[in-house]
Amino acid sequence: MRKTSLLFLSIALFLSGCASDGEVVAQDLWVKSSEMSIKGGMTAVYGTLTNNSSQDVVLVGGATEIAGVVEVHEMAMIGGEMKMQEIDGGLTIPAGKSIVLEPGGNHLMLMMLTDDLEAGEEISVTFDFDGAEDMTVNGVVAKPAEGGDEDYHSGEMDN
Amino acid sequence: MVSRRGFLASGAAAAAAGAVGAVAGASAAGVAAEQNLETFAANREAQFFGPHQSGIELDIQAVTNMVALDIKDSVTKEDMLRWMRLLTDDISRLTRGEPVLADPAPELAIGAARFTAYVGFGPSLFAKLGLDSQLPEGFAELPAFSVDQLEDRYSGGDVLIHIAADDPVVLAHGTRGLVRDSMPFASVRWVQPGFAHSPGMIPAGLTHRNLMGQVDGTANPELGSEDFNSVVWIDEGPKWIRGGTLMVFRRIAMQLDTWDQLGTPSKEEVIGRKLSNGAPLTGTNESDVPDLGARHPNGLLVIPEFAHIRRAAPVESAERIFRRPFSYDNGMNERGSMDVGLLWTAYQRDISRQYLPIQRRLEKLDLLNKWTVPIGSAVFAIPGGVQGSELIAEPLFS
Repeated sequence: MRKTSLLFLSIALFLSGCASDGEVVAQDLWVKSSEMSIKGGMTAVYGTLTNNSSQDVVLVGGATEIAGVVEVHEMAMIGGEMKMQEIDGGLTIPAGKSIVLEPGGNHLMLMMLTDDLEAGEEISVTFDFDGAEDMTVNGVVAKPAEGGDEDYHSGEMDN
Repeated sequence: MVSRRGFLASGAAAAAAGAVGAVAGASAAGVAAEQNLETFAANREAQFFGPHQSGIELDIQAVTNMVALDIKDSVTKEDMLRWMRLLTDDISRLTRGEPVLADPAPELAIGAARFTAYVGFGPSLFAKLGLDSQLPEGFAELPAFSVDQLEDRYSGGDVLIHIAADDPVVLAHGTRGLVRDSMPFASVRWVQPGFAHSPGMIPAGLTHRNLMGQVDGTANPELGSEDFNSVVWIDEGPKWIRGGTLMVFRRIAMQLDTWDQLGTPSKEEVIGRKLSNGAPLTGTNESDVPDLGARHPNGLLVIPEFAHIRRAAPVESAERIFRRPFSYDNGMNERGSMDVGLLWTAYQRDISRQYLPIQRRLEKLDLLNKWTVPIGSAVFAIPGGVQGSELIAEPLFS
């Protein structure tokens, strides 16, 4: 699953939250730290993925040491309410284009967290693609954040 | 350095050139120049990475927020490191005029506007985290001074984030980002907003005026000079403080109603300087060295015994500080008395050897004390700057 080349790792270490293997480039990645990001809970990874290749790439899933389940999610209007759901067949990044993973929009959902994720922690995230090499990014920082009207959003955040 | 006279003259020349340009019709170059002028403040960027944190050895910006925080009971050194990771990344992005990661309002990042922020730590933080062995030399809470009328709401704090920019919207947006990322670790103890001149009001290097009308900051070591290094930047002691400095903060209320009852000659004698250009009463330019021995024909000292600059003048050569005071304006009462003063800051290597002797002299005798009252006070140790992937204060909390 994880295909971390030494070259890639060294780049990722220099540019925490940013990574490039030539085909897909990740920029400004972050993971949400909230009252939900506790052991057994959930959170999500956000940022920009750019497909520099000449063919479409599909984000089909991912992996990280802190989550039992990783899925590609979208926010959709379901029964009059914005809810998140897994995207059937993954999220396409058209050739030469970028997609933005953001609160209230598409995101890489992390569920069944294996530990509390606290503000300022760094995690590694692997993105699984169809049509490109999988990509691991180190140093994805946990930002205290709310917002995006996601349906698990609630009240005050504390650590 | 640009002289004030030179600045005014060039301003007049520019105005004249503008008039000629208007007659001749606007050229493309003229339009471009005008557009550059309109957005020059947005495009000015301070330097974040370097041996020192930014926002100290820098011409003063237009607006500031000083935010003091107290850490939560459960916070450990490891938590501090996570907090510093967030702040380091946030400040580096905001300094470039970019939104922070996870910014809920990225559209407000409209320009760098010389945004800076630096982080400092009060003595209480070292006590709470058991870091007494890391205390820099000459760093401790100030003693009580007889002139003090200190209020808790303006004093103390475990952690200081001192933010400044040349634009109030940029400042507010940056402050929001830095405080949001601090809330898992600390609560806000106080915030004190302040201001100096807007960009374009005075040339770089010229001393700005406080709300009593005085040029405030004369005799400061010059930015970028060896003198500045020797007065301000620490180069020994614990690793984390090297490249850093010690800061004294004093919120000083001004009694403008009674001050305004004085005539110009009286005001000038209180300070020992001319109000017009900040020159000592014994000289003609701000940069002239005061002649503390000079007397009038009648035998009286030209710079009186009680004058502020006489009392503040160093007795030992080490007794020098770098001042960077912003003004504050906290509204007025029903009688129109303005609640104004200074967010007075001084930076030095060693508070006990540099600031304290000066303050002790001013406490004993300084006629200015009659119109200035310290109502807030704090000291903070400012860690050195960061390079590459280093975090602010990383060696302190690792």
